[in-house]
Formats: sequence, structure tokens, C-alpha cells
Amino acid sequence: MSDVPLPLSGGARAPTSYPSISSIPRRSSYASVVSGNAFSPSFSNLLTESLPSSTFDRVHRAPFGVDADMQMNSAWRPNSLPPHSRKYAGFLQSDVPHPGLLDPPFLTPSYLRNSRYLARLETAHRAKLTRDSNPPLSASPSNAHLPRIAPSHRGMTYDIIEKEPPTTDSLSPLPSQWSSADKYAGLELSNDSFDVRYTGPVHKHDHEAAALRADHPMPPQCGIYYFEVKIESKPKEGMIGIGFSSPKASVERLPGWEQESWAYHGDDGKSFFGESQGQGRAYGPTFTVGDTVGCGVNFSTGSAFFTKNGIFLGMSRGLGNESQLTGSGNAFHELRNVKLYPSVGMKKLPPVHLKANFGQEPFVFDIDSMVRVCVGCFPWMKSANFQQQEREAIQHEINATPTTNLQPPLDESTLLQELVAQFLAHDGYVETARAFAGEVASETLALQNGRNEPLKKYEVEEDHEAINRNKIRSAILDGDIDKALKHTKAYYANVLEANPQIHFKLRCRKFLEMMRHSNEISTRPPSAHSHEHAVFDHEMELDDDTDGSFNQLLTEAVQYGQQLRADYPNDENGGDKKLLDDIFSLVAYPDPKRSVHGHYLETKGRVAVAEELNSAILVSLGKSSAAALERLYQQTEVLVNEISEDGGAGAFINVRNDVLL
Amino acid sequence: MSRTSSTATPTWHHFERKLEEVKPSKTDINYLVMDYLVTNGYPAAAKKFSAEANIQLTTDLQAIQERVDIRTAIHSGDIQVAVEKINELNPQILDEDPSLHFALLRLQLVELIRVSMDTPGSDITSALDFATSQLAPRAPTNPQFLADLERTLALLIFPSDKLDPALASLLDPALRKDIAARVNEAILQNQGARREARLRNLVKLRAFAEQKARDSKKDIPDTLDIGLVGDSHNTSNSNDLATNVSDTLMSNSDNDQMIS
Repeated sequence: MSDVPLPLSGGARAPTSYPSISSIPRRSSYASVVSGNAFSPSFSNLLTESLPSSTFDRVHRAPFGVDADMQMNSAWRPNSLPPHSRKYAGFLQSDVPHPGLLDPPFLTPSYLRNSRYLARLETAHRAKLTRDSNPPLSASPSNAHLPRIAPSHRGMTYDIIEKEPPTTDSLSPLPSQWSSADKYAGLELSNDSFDVRYTGPVHKHDHEAAALRADHPMPPQCGIYYFEVKIESKPKEGMIGIGFSSPKASVERLPGWEQESWAYHGDDGKSFFGESQGQGRAYGPTFTVGDTVGCGVNFSTGSAFFTKNGIFLGMSRGLGNESQLTGSGNAFHELRNVKLYPSVGMKKLPPVHLKANFGQEPFVFDIDSMVRVCVGCFPWMKSANFQQQEREAIQHEINATPTTNLQPPLDESTLLQELVAQFLAHDGYVETARAFAGEVASETLALQNGRNEPLKKYEVEEDHEAINRNKIRSAILDGDIDKALKHTKAYYANVLEANPQIHFKLRCRKFLEMMRHSNEISTRPPSAHSHEHAVFDHEMELDDDTDGSFNQLLTEAVQYGQQLRADYPNDENGGDKKLLDDIFSLVAYPDPKRSVHGHYLETKGRVAVAEELNSAILVSLGKSSAAALERLYQQTEVLVNEISEDGGAGAFINVRNDVLL
Repeated sequence: MSRTSSTATPTWHHFERKLEEVKPSKTDINYLVMDYLVTNGYPAAAKKFSAEANIQLTTDLQAIQERVDIRTAIHSGDIQVAVEKINELNPQILDEDPSLHFALLRLQLVELIRVSMDTPGSDITSALDFATSQLAPRAPTNPQFLADLERTLALLIFPSDKLDPALASLLDPALRKDIAARVNEAILQNQGARREARLRNLVKLRAFAEQKARDSKKDIPDTLDIGLVGDSHNTSNSNDLATNVSDTLMSNSDNDQMIS
């Protein structure tokens, strides 16, 4: 693969920080972007811009509401929102006036699918959606030291969010549209800010141009970033540059002419970099109306490449082999700290109309294949793709890393045994722990057979506490909260006192289980007898067994709920009025499971409570609340994040996908 | 490992905060553990875990046991038995992996030599016969085989108490363990399963990622404890264990009655 290096001229070398664009505060985190709380450029644009002045401006002529609908219904949206989010539709609307309009699109460019970076973005996105709709149940400081339970993977976070979701400060979002702020003022945006037009007056001065940048920089974490721009219209004399730049580059000049900007220019087919005005290198063909030009940056090699109408242009230059690319000082490795934004610029000759594809639709160039092929050239990138043979190289490196330093003096196989044994004991899988200890002992015995050394003792943490904890957990998982409360009070009375919020949640769970129970009876297929009755007419009649027991159960549930209300009138003592209100409202629905709060009734809510209680008990016993195995998993995830931040090897590892699937 | 005792540097806090944000699901962790028990051959534990953690066991316990029997044979030095069992499973396993087959045969030679060394006055004829008949014909096919064979036969020349480390390592149980693991992987692969437990991949990835992070001077704590040591352990060998458990089970049933 021979990317075209776009050398950085000497004067523009890597400063460590930059002032952000002045006119709008740059959003600092992905979360704030997806929230819709941030003031959206596209929205402001639609509101403030004057009515259509040009015949090219189709979208502006469309009624405002139609535009909103189009955005709501556009192709990516159903995919990007997890299915459960429907149930929060009400919340979203109440919290955010125009969710569809204010949310910049959540794009999933095809070539990044399966990448760790996108997985992280999506996790953050989901967490954000959940947080919007499901405010924290408890923020009491007393449980701040407890571990968070739950596992975002299988959706449990929707039930309980203990504290602020993961901060995403290190996770830069993908460019999703042109920035309405970081642009030459005379440029107009439309079509969700994917389209940009210059319809202003004619300026023939050579130096002057109109440029703009995307809303977010290209994240190095994705390894390769790629976008395309289609030239919808331009006058014959028009000049267009497509590339990328840092905020240092003026938007009144073409990218490529300014420091820290790189671009491919359509009039002469040259590539330009940094201040070398007029000194571009012959690069590719010229491009004009109807052409689609792609720009890609390979952060692993610090090189860029361009495409025209689906054809890769790097090769045509014959610009060298791998060693030239990576060995020269041209790479923009030195620009690690510089944020590079997709950028286009044009001479101020109307009418110009450019349309960007930041991944919201299929690319003309087959970037997916290139990303796959690319990894063959850069050894450390070989995990980049998702095909087995390409993974093997980095897998080899991973396999070659010694593990003996993790927990000296344990060798690897002993370490694995210890991890498993400790986990089994820690999490209270008593029978399994015992069976495992026995099998490991006989394995060791066989190995030491005929030797004089004593049998190596196999340590396993094992105590009646584990059995008690297991009993409590099983009870909760079975939905038998009374039994769990009884056991907990008997063995660990202080835990409930020390963690009133857990006690509260257990009692809420009991109420929910009562609701579940009554709900199961009421939704049971009616008997022949009751079938004759209209349900509403007879629901109070006690002669019908089903209705009778249903009423009985519902009454009990309501009474218990009233007791809960009386016991927790406010958010003190671990109470949470919002949660109580939510779950109590279930009483009002004929089919609570399908109501807006129906998700509380799902059994996976039991797991969260069970694990929270288990962790609290462990803490009360002075034990770590997470088993070493879990800790190891956490460390791995965080370390891989660390090494992926600047586009390193970690960018192509997805811990969960790689290890678990 | 207590999180609350964390004071130390800001870096530590920073990193610890990031750790807290990672929430492995219990389902995932349980799956990792079950995968390990099946792959590395702990059928009794796998069966119990299937019940206790409510995970469907997709592998035939008998198939796990067959691998365990082979492992036990190799660990005990009964290489002949192991080879027979492997061939009962599927002769292709060794036919298609000459290097593994040679490694097993060489281990068998080591075991024969060990017997002759451990038994004063015994002759070395059986070891030499085995080397001549089984290993020598294969040695020319691969330079490494030849080197391995020569090194193994050197055991016969030097007195057993004055072996250099390279030779002594041949007599270490670690060699049996290594080869047993290789055989296990080969069988799994032959049966279309993953060669290695996912847990092993995770541990490897953990070590790799830390190495990479340190190489690129990432801001991480000087030491990263995985928290295996320091949690309170009841040190007990398997015999004590059984007693402990039955004790606790009894005392526990008392508690039960008390409660109900």
C-alpha cells in the first residue's frame, strides 16, 4: 500500500495545544453531542438563515417540519438507536424539545464497523440515551465506594444506573457534518449540514477563498479515517480543494495553502501541504462537476491519500514503498496533538455546491476493502481487521508476551487456575469451587507423581460466607425477595443498615415481584368460565378464582407499595422518590409489562440488585468487591483503551469481541 | 485489594476511575470461566458450574474426560498409554502433526531414561532400543528433531546429579505439562474447537496491553495489581477443603432451621 505522504513543512511543526475555534464552544465530549442539549449548528442554521435565495437550494425551500421528519426517518437512524429506546420516547420528548433536530446524526461509517472505536462510541451513545431517560436512582455517598454492577453488554444498565456513566473525555466523536461555526461566513449549509454552497458575490483575487471544516476532528483512534465530497456544481473557473486542516488554518484560504492544512486541488490535480502556496506536487487527475473525491488519513503511518470516483490515486503517483512512507520525516506523527478536521475550500466564484459523505451513506470508493487490505502492510495493524488471517500477526505478538510478570511467581497455567478458583470462591460458586480444587489437586498429583517434592498446595478461598451469599443471591434471582431479606438480616444485618439504598431497592424489587406475580395471573389465558364474562364487568367478583386471586395479589402489592411510600417519604434513608413513583405507576396500567415503566418488571432487574447486594456484603467482610478475574478484565479494557488513543495497536483490538466471541 | 484504601497519586485515582467505568457483565465472566473449565479439562467443575451459574453445558462431559485421561497419562509419564488414547480418538491428530508426535516420542524416551537413572544398576538398553527404533528414523526429516534427539541422549552420558540446566530441564515435570497442553490443543483443534481457553487470551492480552502502554510511556500506575494476592485466603489443601465445606454445610443447615 503506498499512501501519499503529505509532508509537513518545517514551520508548522507540532505545537502542543491550540485554542479552539472561537465562535462556538467546541463540544468536549461525545456525550454532550448526542445529548441534544448542545446547541446544534444545523439547527441554528436552519433557524437563522434567510429564506432561499438560490434555485439550487432545494432543502431550504422545504417546510421546516418536513426537514425534521426526513432527519428522523433517514436510513441510519433506526440502526443507530437501540430498539429499547422506543420506550423512552416520552422522556426524550419531555427533556429535549426537538430530539430529532438537535441530535447530530450518529454515523456508523461502513469501514469502521466492528472496530473497537465504534464499539466504544456506541456504548457511550447508549449510555447517554439511557442516562437521559433514566436518571440516576441514587447518588447517596454511602454507596459511592461500592462497585458498579452491571454490565453494559447485555443491556442491564437500563435497569440501574448507579452513578455517572463512563466519562468519554478521551473519546472523540466522528465528524458528522460541516461545522456551522468553523467556516467562512458566506458559505451556506443545508441537508443536515452535509451540503455546502457558495452563492455569494464573485471575488477573483487569487488568495481569497471560502473554506470550512467538519464539526469534529478525525479521531486517530479509528486508525484510518475516510470521507468523500461530491462536486455537485461549480463554475468553469472555480477552484476546489479537498483535504483536512487544523483550526490554525484560515477559512478564508484554500486548504493546502495554509499552515497545518493538506489538500488535493481540482484545478491542477496537485496535492498541497502547509504554506507551500503554488508549490503543490503533481498528484492526480483534475476533478470537476460530477466527480466524487475521497480523502483518507492513515494515522498509523501518518499519511494521506485521495480517491476520485472510486479510484485510489495514491498508486498512480508511484509514490514509493512502505519504507519511504514510514521512514521519512514527512509523516504527521509529529502532529499527534493537532486536531485535524475534514475540510473543503473553494474560490469565491458562485455557484458552488459540494456534498459531503461522512459515512451517512455508502462510499463510492471501496474503503472497506482497503482498510482490510491495508493491514497487510503495517505489521502492528494486523488486528485491524476482522478476518482471521489478518488478526494472526498481532495475535502472535500478544501470545509472545510473557505473562509471568502478572502475578509472580505464578506461571501462566497456575495463574489461570488461581484466577478461576478465586473467582469461584469470591462469587460464591461453592460446589464448583470444590470440584475445581479437587480436579486441580489430582492434576498436580499426577504431575508430581514419583517425585520427592511435596504436593503443591492449592489455595482456594472457601468459607461458609460464600455459601450464605450464594443462598441470598439465588433467592433474589428466583424472585423470592422475602427469603433474601430474611437471610441477609440473619447473616449480614449490618449490611442493610450500612447500605439503606440497597435495602430500599430490595424492597422495591419485592413490590415489583408482587406486581409481576399479579400480572402473570391476570394475563393467564382465561378459563372457559371467565371467558363468558367481560373482564371489566366481573373483575371485582370474587367467585372467579383467577380474578379473585389477581385482586388479592394486586391489593397486597398496593398495600406493600403504600407501606414503601410511608417508609420512604423522600429521598432520605436510601429512598428514591422518582423510582417509587415510576414503579408505583405500574399499578395504573391494565398490562403493566407493556407500559412505559414495564422494563422494571423484567427479571434482569433481579441480577442487578443481587450483584449489588453481593458486592456490599463482600465490602462489609473486608473483601474486594470484584474478583481478580473481573479486575483483570477491567485492566485489560482500560489498557487497551490507553494504547489505542493515538491510533496505536489498540485501535484494532476489541477486548470483548476478540476474547469473548 | 481494597479500593477505599486508595490514596496515592492522582495517576492512581485517574486510572482507578477508568477501571471503575469498565463493567464486565457477569454473563461474560461466567462464560469465560465455563470456557476455561471445558477447554482446559475440568469436567467435574464444569458440571457443577453449569448447575450453579445456570449455564447450558454445550460440550459432552465424556469428551472432556477423554482429554483429561490423556493429560493424566502424560503428566504421569505414561506416554505409551497417552499415544494409544490419542490414536483411539483420531489417528489423524498425530499423523498430521509430526512435530507433536516426535515431541511425544522424545518425552517417552526421556521417561525411559529417567527410569534407568532412578533404578541403580538397571541397563539402558530399553531406552537405546526405543531411540533407535522410534526416534532415529524420524530424526532426519527435520533438523530440530535431530538436535532434540541428540540432546536427549546426552542424558545417558552425564551423571544425573551434574546435568547442565538445559539437560536438567528435560527431566523437569514442566516438559510433561507443556506437551500435555500441546496435545490438548491439538485434540481440540482436531475436533473443531478453539485451541485455547478464552481466559488465556484475555490474560495474554492484559500482559501485552500493559507492555505496549509502558513502552509508549502511557500514564499508568507503576504497578498494576490484579488482586489475586491479598484477598483473604483460607489456606487449605484439598483434603482440608472437603472437611471445611462439609462443616460449613452443616452449620449452615442449622442456620436455615433457625431462620425458617
